[in-house]
Amino acid sequence: MKPEIRTLARLLVVQASWNYERMSGLGLGHAAEPLLQDLDRSDPARHADALHRAAGFFNSHPYLAGVAVGAEVRAEYDGIPGGQIERLRAALCSPLGALGDQLFWAGAWPAAIGAALIAVALGAGWWAPGAAVTAMLATRLYVTRWALRTGLRSGMQVGVALQRTRLRPLVNPLGLAAALAVGAAVPLVIRAGLGAPRAFAAGLTVLVAAAGIAAGQWLGPRTTGIRFGLAALVATLVVRLVLR
Amino acid sequence: MIHASTVALLLGAGTVAGLDLSSGPQVLLNRPLVVGTAAGLLLGDPWSGLLVGSVLELFALEVLPVGAARYPDHGPGTVGAVLAVAIAGPHELWRGVLVGLLAALAGGWSLRWMRRAGATRVARASAALQALEPGILGRLQAAGFRSDLARSAVLTTIGLGLGFAVRFVGPFPPSWNPSLNAVALGAAGGAALNGAIRNAGRGRRLAALGAGLAAGTLWAVLG
Repeated sequence: MKPEIRTLARLLVVQASWNYERMSGLGLGHAAEPLLQDLDRSDPARHADALHRAAGFFNSHPYLAGVAVGAEVRAEYDGIPGGQIERLRAALCSPLGALGDQLFWAGAWPAAIGAALIAVALGAGWWAPGAAVTAMLATRLYVTRWALRTGLRSGMQVGVALQRTRLRPLVNPLGLAAALAVGAAVPLVIRAGLGAPRAFAAGLTVLVAAAGIAAGQWLGPRTTGIRFGLAALVATLVVRLVLR
Repeated sequence: MIHASTVALLLGAGTVAGLDLSSGPQVLLNRPLVVGTAAGLLLGDPWSGLLVGSVLELFALEVLPVGAARYPDHGPGTVGAVLAVAIAGPHELWRGVLVGLLAALAGGWSLRWMRRAGATRVARASAALQALEPGILGRLQAAGFRSDLARSAVLTTIGLGLGFAVRFVGPFPPSWNPSLNAVALGAAGGAALNGAIRNAGRGRRLAALGAGLAAGTLWAVLG
């Protein structure tokens, strides 16, 4: 199998050995290994140093980790001093993490899921979640390949390439689409869950939702929806048992 | 009566969901809506799967894995939640939500445990990493993947166990179900909106969230 294909496959599971010490560094080193094979033949000492650098601490977004792998491999073949490569690697963590978080975790993911929820609530079958997964799988494969090639093409100039990327302008539209889709999905899912509308059940739902929002906003992040939901269900059961 | 092969397939679906969240490839296979749909199809009850998956998805939308956020793992437990509703019937949706939330809490703890175990594994392999033994990176990646596989399988098993066991809570009069379902749905809606408000910040995204909420409410009331 071609080294680039092996690297791409490894980038799909780049977080398999994620840990608090090196975060996704080991996954990055593992992904870079096939592309550094030629360096092992031409300069074994440099190859060993390069692998050490590649497997050091690194944390960013898994979809965009290929940018760092590609840039680092290219810089190693270009003979850039190790210190400079380590600085490049450190400098890439935050921008790649922030771009990936905004694009995918806070943009494409909730937008796709929100759209699928709306479709399901309006009567669509299994194909709606299936379409969301297919779209995200295609995005993942495309972005992973694009990221690796951008890194390999740019090397130490990868910062400039990232500033010019066509991904960055997508952050705002995807964020807006996500907010719109999630906002519309909430009442539609509740309506589907309630079944035949009853004024009492609908009123209770709105009341509990408002209490949940208030608890989340004012009592701090420890009051998660899961804890609130469990507490509300247990409290309702207790009240009903007492009033029986 | 649920056949053993169906339980095995459910275990497989939950395990794949857990792996997708942590090891990768992170393509929505972990989302409750997707796992719920798959579990519903496997159980021959697609509507229960879509319904439970949709409601648990609202809880899952509260915390997106942005930055260093600590997040629960909703995927594997959703399988047990769908099982609970497939057994009890969609009028007892709240039983599925109860199972899904308990399993998601356990999922969050399991992620933290797995990451601490990963750090210990790396510390133990520090000499091999320093010497860069041949194949050490691959072995550590494979060990991490196996650890995640075991975590996901155990979590799915817990979810399935809860899914079977939750029918023994009660029995309660059928007249209680509407209020219990309403509470579960309200808490789910509140969780999703809390997360959406936090992610939207102030400005156009908050306006888009408000517009979506208004349109969805109108559709739900008039549709």
